[in-house]
Amino acid sequence: MQECAPCSDPHVGAGTIRSDRVTTTIQPRLTQVFRFVRCSYANGVAELVYAFDHGEELIETVRFPNAPALPASHKAAFDRALKLLHLIAGVSYYKAGVPPKIDVADGPLDNATADLLDALYLHGLAEFAYRNGLDLRGRVAFPHGGAAQPQASALNLPRRTLVPIGGGKDSLVAVEAIKSIGGEATAVWVGNSNLIASCAERTGLPTLNIQRELAPQLFDLNRIGAWNGHIPVTAVNSAILAVAAILYGYDSIAFANERSASAATLEYEGQLVNHQWSKGYTFEQLLGDWLHTQVAADLDYCSLLRPYSELAITRTFAKLTPYFDAFSSCNRNFKILGPKPADRWCGQCPKCHFVFLALAPFLSKPRLLQIFGRNLLDDDGQAAGFDALLEYQDHKPFECVGEGAEARAAMYALSQRPEWQEDALIARFRSEILPQLNVADLALEPWLEPSAEHRIPARLQHALAFFA
Amino acid sequence: MKFGGTSVATLPRWQNILELVATRRAEGARVLVVVSALSGITDALKQLCAQEDKGKRIEAAKAIAQRHYDLLDHMQLAVPDALGTKLGELAKLADEGPAALGELAWAALIQAHGELLSSTLGAAFLSHSGLPTQWVDARECLAAVALPNQNERTKLLSAMVEAKPDPALNLRLAKQGDVFITQGFIARESQGRTVLLGRGGSDTSASYFGALLKAQRVEIWTDVAGMFTANPRQVPGARLLQRLDYEEAQEIASTGAKVLHPRCLSPLREPRVPMLIKDTNRPELEGTVIGPEVREHAPSVKAISARKGLTLVSMESVGMWQQVGFLADVFAQFKQHGLSVDLIGSAETNVTVSLDPTENLLDSDAIAALASDLAKVCRVKVIAPCAAITLVGRGMRSMLHTLSGVLAEFGQLRVHMISQSSNNLNLTFVVDENVVDDLLPLLHELLIAAGALRTDDSALFGPSWQALYGSGEVPVPAASWWRTTERQRLLELGAKATPRYVYHLPTVRQQARDLKTLAAVDRLHYAVKANTHPAILKALAEEGFGFECVSPGEMKAVMAAVPESAPLLFTPNFAPREDYAWALTTRATVSLDSLYPLEHWGELFRGREIVLRVDLGRGLGHHEKVRTGGSGSKFGLPVELVDTFLKLADGHGVIVRGLHAHLGSGILDDSHWGEVYSQLASLAERIGSVAFIDIGGGLGVPSHPGEARLDIAALDRVLREVKAAYPHYKLWMEPGRYLVADAGVLLTRVTQQKGKSALRYLGVDTGMNSLIRPALYEAWHEIVNLSRLDEPATGLFQVVGPICESGDVLGTDRRLPEPQEGDVMLIAQAGAYGKVMSSPYNMRDEAEEIIIE
Repeated sequence: MQECAPCSDPHVGAGTIRSDRVTTTIQPRLTQVFRFVRCSYANGVAELVYAFDHGEELIETVRFPNAPALPASHKAAFDRALKLLHLIAGVSYYKAGVPPKIDVADGPLDNATADLLDALYLHGLAEFAYRNGLDLRGRVAFPHGGAAQPQASALNLPRRTLVPIGGGKDSLVAVEAIKSIGGEATAVWVGNSNLIASCAERTGLPTLNIQRELAPQLFDLNRIGAWNGHIPVTAVNSAILAVAAILYGYDSIAFANERSASAATLEYEGQLVNHQWSKGYTFEQLLGDWLHTQVAADLDYCSLLRPYSELAITRTFAKLTPYFDAFSSCNRNFKILGPKPADRWCGQCPKCHFVFLALAPFLSKPRLLQIFGRNLLDDDGQAAGFDALLEYQDHKPFECVGEGAEARAAMYALSQRPEWQEDALIARFRSEILPQLNVADLALEPWLEPSAEHRIPARLQHALAFFA
Repeated sequence: MKFGGTSVATLPRWQNILELVATRRAEGARVLVVVSALSGITDALKQLCAQEDKGKRIEAAKAIAQRHYDLLDHMQLAVPDALGTKLGELAKLADEGPAALGELAWAALIQAHGELLSSTLGAAFLSHSGLPTQWVDARECLAAVALPNQNERTKLLSAMVEAKPDPALNLRLAKQGDVFITQGFIARESQGRTVLLGRGGSDTSASYFGALLKAQRVEIWTDVAGMFTANPRQVPGARLLQRLDYEEAQEIASTGAKVLHPRCLSPLREPRVPMLIKDTNRPELEGTVIGPEVREHAPSVKAISARKGLTLVSMESVGMWQQVGFLADVFAQFKQHGLSVDLIGSAETNVTVSLDPTENLLDSDAIAALASDLAKVCRVKVIAPCAAITLVGRGMRSMLHTLSGVLAEFGQLRVHMISQSSNNLNLTFVVDENVVDDLLPLLHELLIAAGALRTDDSALFGPSWQALYGSGEVPVPAASWWRTTERQRLLELGAKATPRYVYHLPTVRQQARDLKTLAAVDRLHYAVKANTHPAILKALAEEGFGFECVSPGEMKAVMAAVPESAPLLFTPNFAPREDYAWALTTRATVSLDSLYPLEHWGELFRGREIVLRVDLGRGLGHHEKVRTGGSGSKFGLPVELVDTFLKLADGHGVIVRGLHAHLGSGILDDSHWGEVYSQLASLAERIGSVAFIDIGGGLGVPSHPGEARLDIAALDRVLREVKAAYPHYKLWMEPGRYLVADAGVLLTRVTQQKGKSALRYLGVDTGMNSLIRPALYEAWHEIVNLSRLDEPATGLFQVVGPICESGDVLGTDRRLPEPQEGDVMLIAQAGAYGKVMSSPYNMRDEAEEIIIE
């Protein structure tokens, strides 16, 4: 759940993959069927089993620490959530071969579930498909037509919230917003990350660290030429947290996905490609509704930051000084942390570029430069990176970054400030890019206004005052 | 002799003082001891002053009294009357409060009691211990002078004393005895009030007394042996400075060294009283002597320091050119926004200043407001975060030519400002802050290697901090094989014929075994370019090494010498197509480091597994020419082209099985490989097919005496940490020089001498034709006269060869015994890049190679 680490799979729990395995003989790109074999749960460990054709079973495990015994009244809800996790987590394996047929061992899915998965696999893998020159339209087809599921009832879940932590600014803002209304919450993350662990510790909240271990064979498949690339990792994590919410007892899962996550990265042969599709509002609605109807009527799935732009969030984050030397949104996914800014911010990737730019209007310049350890906007070498953010001569990068217009507004704000004006990329913006823009479109203020579109449950809506 | 707060806080430390004073007495000196307050007491007194509640003030005074009673108790001494009186005065002051004396004068008098008490207690202890000691009231001796820029606060709390030699005081003390104790930190002003000397006050008191008495010397006893060539926390190899002049020491103290307050040196300058800094716990260490300018030494950089967190404000305008008052207006803005200016650099149309990191700078809009105001009169640029790197040494401008290697290092960086004052003591570079941590140790090395920081002059430079204070893990290097067991054999070999390379295989094997202790490394390859002698190749094959070759020639030499089972790597750079074509017919793993081979000869590689060598964007190493990373280097594929490379590879069915980076040679910092390793591993995660990471070689071999060796155990810890995060990749390394450098020496014989003004040239029978590293890399090789190894090194020589090139110098300014024609000279660490880089230039005979099994 590293906030937008490049979401191709080996990042997640890669530490558990072994490389000394006997190589499988299967040719992943020539497979015909992707099979959801079975899933099971016992003693805090969920096993999710997949296979290609009639090949070796691929077994993923998800470990829930200190799992309590499951009350009988929650059994049905838990099984539905686990089933969904099995179906969603399969995306990591499915994409290795992208075979023409999908088979679910215990029979076709009800239409609502099949639609959710068709949408997730098609849109969530859109970037993967684009980068590998594949077209998944018509190829992704989960078996439909199973019996409709009965409407789920309310489970009277405890009024507390799971807040996924990513080590970046967004989830920390969400945490502080919930803390500001005295809400009961747990900071949760999936996988091993020192960065996230140290950020979670700074929140002062109770923590929950769920482990996900990919099937080790996936690494072998990659070595023998499997398709590889970006997967909708937020969907996988959401499904894991839905299971966790039923297991441990939480009535809400509050992600920190902002408004701009819904904006597409580019359009390709008539299909919108959004790197952050599973962080977008469409997926939030699909999954939220599905959980209400099929798991528990009182389990809310939402993003607390949905009404806000990146800029509104960075403005709020700029007040959270205690996190400045701990957080990082960089997608270099540092596994080894050191004390220096360069140990947390690579300074080269779109996330570094964007967070730097979005924080700049709201922090004193020396403070911002202290956080990053260097001035990315005074470095000619970073021009192309910032151009992409501004959608100038390039499309928006395949990363979880704000909208182009948002980046332009931040850049414009800096270009009007004497302490920034002479920096290389600001000066370049003033002379080269600004004349092509309409200044009326560049105001910062409209970005600070919340939108009405969100699914935040009534219980948590007061927390939005934190952003005022 | 001055002792600080921790030195006077316990009985054992006082016993230490007693011993030290007694030693000086025994040497015939009369001793004045200057003491600080017991540690923690000055702070307690300050808190007492800040306390408005009378009851709490009285409580605080009691607690302070108790600290002294406890210590006396340990000393098994009754409370001396004098101490009782002073504690009584303190209690009275606490009771009265500031009303009568005035806030500042009251506070000064209260704080003065810390030293009054400690000195009184000390006098009792020393006298009782058999060393009759007279208590002297410092206020009777040190008269504060009023200065025009002082206000009441600075007058009372950071006073100045004009200390001129005062023979009357000498006479007065002479009548009283031989050992005295007095207070640091305090003095008296013209109205008779007690005043304080401010920060570093006790050292300054000692200096004032040294000047008043025109002492033989002032000794500052502290917890470290003196001043060092760099902050030991940043540069563990920093060397103890044994001799400094006042100005240099003051400059070093003001640019970062904490051991001495910069202001305590100026009183000593005029009366020419030397200061000696000594370690209380290690009195046997030489310490630092600070005195008048020393003439009998070649100019040398003395220290390098760094200050971080600076913000620069650069102001540009033609308006300032020949305009009266422009700068005055500009600087008024800084004052108005509460920002204090430190360094200043100026040109006709630009003034750049530095600001120190303060809360006001970081967390208010001061800088934005300042920039807005300045923008009305000039163009402003705010540059941060920066760091000032300062080189200190007398006659800096005359050393510029020796700094070329150091300046070349700055050439890779953004240097925002250079400042050099007219006193010619320093040279300051303001650079981006993020480079400093790696840069400082590197610059320290470069300064030594370039002969700018003359650590080989043992009169000026002492041992390294690591050697003195480092943790016990630093192994004492074993005496070299050529100095001990094989010396006689080498003398015989040298007597028969020279020049000769001699290789000691047991050393090669030992180095190989050292590296095999790196548990994280799955496979080691010897980079054969360092030395291709078949006996060395065989020995390393027996140790289980693979071999890394860069040309078909090397490959053939290796294949002829080692068994078929030894793994081979072919890692050429700008190799022609036919080299690859040939290498692909062998068992070698082939590496590529550019797009061209796949773009143009892609079919050659179809279906093959290759290693991709990437350039992580920066280089490291002991000299620009051995640096192999960064865009200034021809090696490696830039990271931003990796995706393009992978597409090409995919198109030709080429599988990238390994990722490789190699940033340079001679790197002694273990954390460096951890960084390369984790950067490569995170890059590898984007490439599904990668099975191993090759982090290259470049393991440094220290050349200078006292330089710390690479800590293999620490390196192993670093590598294992990364491996734990990326266990699915095998780890490979390619050491070269580390395995063979120390195993080889070059023997040559003295042919003649020549004097040229002050310089003495010592001629030997081979030079850059046999060993080109000194000329090519400015490499430093130890040179000894093997025939006279035990004679004192009395002369200073330039050791030169017979080649018709002015660069044919093997070593400059070497201290050696007086040589005779025919003496066998030994050039150490010649096992790597020696014979393999030799040439027939001038058609002199090539050096033969001899193996010692």
